[in-house]
Amino acid sequence: MSKLNYVGKPTALQVDAYDKVMGTAKYVGDMYLPGMLYGKVLRSPIPHGKIVRLDTSRAFQVPGVKAVITSADFVNNGLWGWPIKDAYILAHGKVRYVGDPIAAVAAETEAAAIKGVEAIEFELEPLPVVSDPHKAQSSESPLIPDECPTDKNNLCNIHIVRNGDPAAIIEKSEHIFTGSYVFQHQEHAYIETEGALAIPDADGSVTVYANDQSPFINRGNIASVLGLEQDYVRVIQPPVGGSFGGKDDIGYQTSSQAAKLALLTGKPVRITLAREESMAASYKREWMEVGLKIGADNEGKLKAVQANLLADSGAYSSMTPLSSWRATMHAGGSYRYEAASVDTESVYTNNGYCGAFRGFGNNQATGAIECLIDEMAEKFNMDPIDYRMINLLREGDRAFTGNKLMHRPNADRCLEWVRLQSGWDRKRAEYASQETGAPNRRGIGVACYFHGSGLGGEGTDFATANIRINGDHTVTLQCALTDYGQGSRTVFTLIAAEVLGVNPDRIQMLRPDTQTATDSGPTVASRASIVGGNAVRDTTEKVAHLLNLAAADLFKCDPAQLIRVEESYIGPQEQPISFEEVVDHAREMGFQLSAHGYWQIPEIHWDFDSGTGVPYFTYSYGAQIAEVEVNRKTGVVKVIKIWAAHDAGKIIYPLGAKGQMLGGIAQGLGYALTEGFTYKDGYPQKLDFNTYHIPTSLEMPEMEYKFIDNILPEGPFGAKNLAEPMMISAPPAIANAVYQATGVRVHEFPINPNLLKM
Amino acid sequence: MHIEFTLNGESVSVDVPEKMTLLKCLREVLGLTGTKVGCESGDCGACSVIFNGKLTKSCLLEMPLVAGKDVITIEGVHAPDGGPGDVQQAFLDHGAAQCGYCTPGMILAGEALLTRKPDPDREEIRRAISGNLCRCSGYTQIIDAIEDAARKRLVKTH
Repeated sequence: MSKLNYVGKPTALQVDAYDKVMGTAKYVGDMYLPGMLYGKVLRSPIPHGKIVRLDTSRAFQVPGVKAVITSADFVNNGLWGWPIKDAYILAHGKVRYVGDPIAAVAAETEAAAIKGVEAIEFELEPLPVVSDPHKAQSSESPLIPDECPTDKNNLCNIHIVRNGDPAAIIEKSEHIFTGSYVFQHQEHAYIETEGALAIPDADGSVTVYANDQSPFINRGNIASVLGLEQDYVRVIQPPVGGSFGGKDDIGYQTSSQAAKLALLTGKPVRITLAREESMAASYKREWMEVGLKIGADNEGKLKAVQANLLADSGAYSSMTPLSSWRATMHAGGSYRYEAASVDTESVYTNNGYCGAFRGFGNNQATGAIECLIDEMAEKFNMDPIDYRMINLLREGDRAFTGNKLMHRPNADRCLEWVRLQSGWDRKRAEYASQETGAPNRRGIGVACYFHGSGLGGEGTDFATANIRINGDHTVTLQCALTDYGQGSRTVFTLIAAEVLGVNPDRIQMLRPDTQTATDSGPTVASRASIVGGNAVRDTTEKVAHLLNLAAADLFKCDPAQLIRVEESYIGPQEQPISFEEVVDHAREMGFQLSAHGYWQIPEIHWDFDSGTGVPYFTYSYGAQIAEVEVNRKTGVVKVIKIWAAHDAGKIIYPLGAKGQMLGGIAQGLGYALTEGFTYKDGYPQKLDFNTYHIPTSLEMPEMEYKFIDNILPEGPFGAKNLAEPMMISAPPAIANAVYQATGVRVHEFPINPNLLKM
Repeated sequence: MHIEFTLNGESVSVDVPEKMTLLKCLREVLGLTGTKVGCESGDCGACSVIFNGKLTKSCLLEMPLVAGKDVITIEGVHAPDGGPGDVQQAFLDHGAAQCGYCTPGMILAGEALLTRKPDPDREEIRRAISGNLCRCSGYTQIIDAIEDAARKRLVKTH
């Protein structure tokens, strides 16, 4: 491959960081318009109840209150949701979780809006609460949604894998291993909470600035519940203070509430959630219980696996049908089996509703299999890395889901790197011979993973992009995929710069705007670099081609004879012509220097009914080693160091990839040790950063990482996906290290220190 | 209530309700939105300012306590020509801002540290930012940036 000028450059800077460091970036909560009203939402204080009375009239008596809305203000009572339409913009008939929105008020000041909410009179008749996912399907449990999507009480969805006859093989296996693992809910804890600013127009249209991840989905939803043509709704994404999957559904709800209030009052309306409100109301990562049964032969070779997963979708389905599918597709881990089956059930409860969160089900799946594999290694008297190596997927193998791998699986290279860098063998031996009664004991543990790229069987995975070379020789680029800190805007800019042969400073990326960008699906599944990146490459190649024709015309040569040196074009006579001159000439020739690009992940097909097929067209791989020290008196785990290797193909934006890796490890650390969003009888137990503890700078271990050299031929400049998978293996690596340190196998995350006390 | 104080080197005076926090005053009365709202309970540090030389959570500071005092916000640490100050530049160079929401607070934490300790080691930098939560970065590049700014500042003054 020829030398790259911008893609992969270690010094490439984030394109929109300037405003962030100067303090001039305007997030939704920073946006202010004259005459703007403030919106506040009345939310349910109880986990399950019938709305028997809702009287908003007294709210209007509060000075400054201009509008109050309920479900009656929306088309079809504001019923919405995807893939299952079971939610409401504002609760209709019932409230289903603590924080469920019931009504919204717009007032001239925030204080008046709060008073307006307090003035609303309502009566809720409490209904029995389902908080234990195991009990959701019992006939004694009340039905939580209006209509059950399946024929079993509170069963939201199922997923299966059927690959051969694992039960028969396990029965005949020389060794059988079982394990059951529980993963508590996790809160996204972005530092900026959800918000939307809606600006009405006299013609009945509305523009919404919202910090959600997917402006087109938001627009479609707003239009639907407000009964507007899609062209009458414009959604623009401002800078977003973190999302991690968390600002979708609740973002769409908040946007629709603000839009309705704006259209009713004829004034801009801004709603931002307070922290406690956000922690109660916003959706979480699903609680999951993963049960595994594996049969192995006398040499430790894996023969077959059966997995059973139970996911808590909470009050509404949200993205759980999709994340529970990804969990299902990863439950066996990146290993070779003769047969496999998975049975997954997602249920409704009155806990807070659950949906997308970085990793999207693979966190729980990998967490479980990597803990059990480690137990098996011990039983076979093998080093945990060696044991994994004999069972790892290799080139040409089939994943446990039955599909043949189309590209070389690289978990082995990742394991090799972390093994070498960490001094694994020496430390395993050293820590194995520690004094048993020592007050502090150390351990070192490993975990590896694979992560299907893109949406997979979840849907058509495409993106579009648009580019324009302007008369002033600047370049305008737009893609509807969003950037909430993960660096997608920078990735797209670097790709366009490389293809066009211009300095990235010449390129301006517009904000995602439904009026000018073209739909590219949601910014999820770490798909932006690969799908969006390829769409950007596609559109840029089209205008680059036109510029080549113009330059060739100036040189009176064949386009194939052109050379690029920095921004200049050089012809056979070696007299350079500037980019500006070429652009001017192209315009004189009558070329339209704008283009639309499209790219779609190669079609694959998973058959949900038979549990067979191809779930993803490729996977990314990784491994992590964690070194811990456990205080045997307090049971507190201190992570000393983490080594992480990940195969994401070509790294386009190295500083950003570094941040995603290290930040991902931090979220994995919290998931493993300090977070855990819990419910008691449906009541959320932690509503601030004091009780819900995310890692601070003092808790971060030393981290060493490596992006394995690899190229995905189909990716832009060889890139794969990156943002999600790196938080996945920290929890099982830590659990396995904790085992060496304490002799205790943990089966629940976050790890309970009480279990580790001597 | 009429309050006068020094903000980013200039005298300002505001008329605010007694219970208003400095955070709300900065953002809503003075229109300076660089200082962010993260939790309003003193747990996240997104609202950090430098108050009388000390890194302080402005969501916990009620305006009567600000009278006559000195406040520095993210809007006050740029270079004389209006461009990025050295800590800000270091954040750019090290990719220390991802979503950017904790960034103003982190930059001020860096500035406050370097004013009282020009040659901090990484552990001291960790402690100086320990009251500021970041959910994106894992903190490493933020620490790199502050360390780099400290080193360059020392070189300049010698």
